[in-house]
Amino acid sequence: MVNWAVKIEELTKVYRDFWRRKSIPALTDLNLSIECGEVFGLLGPNGSGKTTTIKLMLGILFPTSGRSWLLGYPSSDLKIKSKIGFLPEESYLYKFLNAEEILDFYGKLFYITKKERKYRIDKLIHQVGLTSYRKRPLGQYSKGMLRRIGLAQAIINDPELIILDEPTSGLDPVGSREIKDLIIEFKKQGKTVVLCTHLLADVQDICDRIAILDKGILQIVGTVKDLLSKKDVIEFIVRNLSEDNIPVVETFIKSKNGDVLSVSHPFSTLEELFINIIKRR
Amino acid sequence: MILTITYHTFCEAFRKKILHILVGLGVFIISLSPFFPTMDEPDAHVKIVLVVFFQVVILLCISGIIFLAASSLPGEIEDKTILGILSKPVSRIKIIMGKVAGFAMLSALVLVFLSLMNLIIVYWIASGLPDEYRGILKARNLYKSSQFHVQGKVNHASREILWIEGGRVAVAHWSFSDLYNKSDKRRSYELELDLKVDSSKDIVENVPLVVRVEDVFSGESKIEIISLKIDELLTLKLNSGFIQKSGNINVSVFPLSRTDYIGVSQNDAKVYSVYGGFLSNYVKAIFITFLKFLLIIFISVMGSTYLSAPVSIATSMIVFLSGHVLDYVKDFSILIQRYDIHKYNLPTVIKEPNILLVYFDYIIRKPLEWLTVILPDFKRFDSLNFLLNGINVPLEIIIVSLRYTAIYAVICLFISYLVFRKREIF
Repeated sequence: MVNWAVKIEELTKVYRDFWRRKSIPALTDLNLSIECGEVFGLLGPNGSGKTTTIKLMLGILFPTSGRSWLLGYPSSDLKIKSKIGFLPEESYLYKFLNAEEILDFYGKLFYITKKERKYRIDKLIHQVGLTSYRKRPLGQYSKGMLRRIGLAQAIINDPELIILDEPTSGLDPVGSREIKDLIIEFKKQGKTVVLCTHLLADVQDICDRIAILDKGILQIVGTVKDLLSKKDVIEFIVRNLSEDNIPVVETFIKSKNGDVLSVSHPFSTLEELFINIIKRR
Repeated sequence: MILTITYHTFCEAFRKKILHILVGLGVFIISLSPFFPTMDEPDAHVKIVLVVFFQVVILLCISGIIFLAASSLPGEIEDKTILGILSKPVSRIKIIMGKVAGFAMLSALVLVFLSLMNLIIVYWIASGLPDEYRGILKARNLYKSSQFHVQGKVNHASREILWIEGGRVAVAHWSFSDLYNKSDKRRSYELELDLKVDSSKDIVENVPLVVRVEDVFSGESKIEIISLKIDELLTLKLNSGFIQKSGNINVSVFPLSRTDYIGVSQNDAKVYSVYGGFLSNYVKAIFITFLKFLLIIFISVMGSTYLSAPVSIATSMIVFLSGHVLDYVKDFSILIQRYDIHKYNLPTVIKEPNILLVYFDYIIRKPLEWLTVILPDFKRFDSLNFLLNGINVPLEIIIVSLRYTAIYAVICLFISYLVFRKREIF
């Protein structure tokens, strides 16, 4: 029996205007299941219904119809929130508090003991790389630093299910990579991660499965491998083959009824190049 | 959980500049209040300091608290910091209760700070007062006379004042009953006479009066001749043992000399049982004022669960101000129903119903009646008059105010919960 971390059935959300007239359908009949321990990417352009789905799951919005369960409990159940970590699409934090104070505040909301809070705060601040800025008010933080402290607050309760809405927005490539590494670490720890983003490269790197939403309608869902692989195309990546031997290989492939579509040197990604340069310095 | 949100709300509000400005303004006004021009009465400065604090500074603080309480939740919804709390295992009613408690804590702190300052100034001014004016620094239970009459020939009457000539031509009598009950054992009693004085002599500074206090049942009496200064109160200590015998006394007063006159009316003689010091009375008055703060906080937070910050502030302000003029609203409601019985005789021009009034009656009367029922009456929290007259704030008033606040608090909390539990944060 599959252990679902998230189960959504026929979830529909129609926003109403001031006079309670239905106006904009934000989500239509969404059916989705996310397994425990999975890193799941929720993709879609702006206004596709990603954030609406997350808010419905967390009880911040209320569905027009349909139901959802988190870790086996109805999402309206307050208790289940103690096992969930949530990073909103922007770091909506109290700017007058510093990193320690904000984490302490959120820790208290999870009924974490004082001793345990102190331990976790120290660990998380170090983990997100803000040790030198822990006493600085959040109002003086950069966007990237806010994102990091936002992520720290999302995992202060050591959640089983982590919902991250645009976690890498505002972060530099090094920060993005660190977040991605952190997500991979979560997966290793057996946590379920729901990643909501429109930065496709992020998803491709770390997600097990993805779903694409457009105009509130689920377009496709499946594993990254299944969805991205081209079944009728085969790619060889070969090292140490001289330029002179390339026509020989092409001729061999043609003799076997294969069409050579392109022969080129593979590119490394811009992200890899950037990180290599920064690390070298 | 509620405590966490309470403390957080308190810290957040405590850093707001509007609070600093209003408290600073309050401190400035309190500091200036002893120098405000007043009447010539010696205790007028104490009174003006109290009036300025309870009428002006408290109003300023309430405006500040309304501003903070009514804008807190809409502010969090607008800048979406509420998402951080709503995604945690915190029920929405706890958020509301935490907000209310946070602002209540802030109000208490502001009230304690400013009232301490006010209290220091009151004691500073009062230290220079003559003994007979120190009544303002006491907490006394007031007993009004049950009967009043003048025995003998009244010289003349002007308005409600009866003028009597000295030399026993006429004697003013006041009767006081039920002065003593068992719980009053430790209390002392005093008689306060606020008499008008005149004389046929050209220059008179003091008028000798004969004051007789008689125990009704035993007939035992005590006579004193006291010199009364013009335009001053006469305070006479009464023997508590004497009062404890029956609890009913008669007070008789007349000028000693035939050249002197006193003007008397029923309310010119009062008996006070001294209940405690000014400090305990002041604390009671501040507690009642705190309840006023608490009530407006509940109302402001209730409004803020649905309305935007500016609308919520404006609504709370209107409710607060309307709550102070509720008497007039009630009166207006009666006026348009019964134009003939208005107690202030305001509608003298409206001798008979005109068509406008009839329509007005149909359209406005019911809403006005509902308004007076729905809106909280903030005037019932005014305890300034007790302090000004040195009268003990009765425990019943505190209990009634507490109950009144509790009832409104429960209603406001219930409505807030109903509204906020279904509030969506986009």
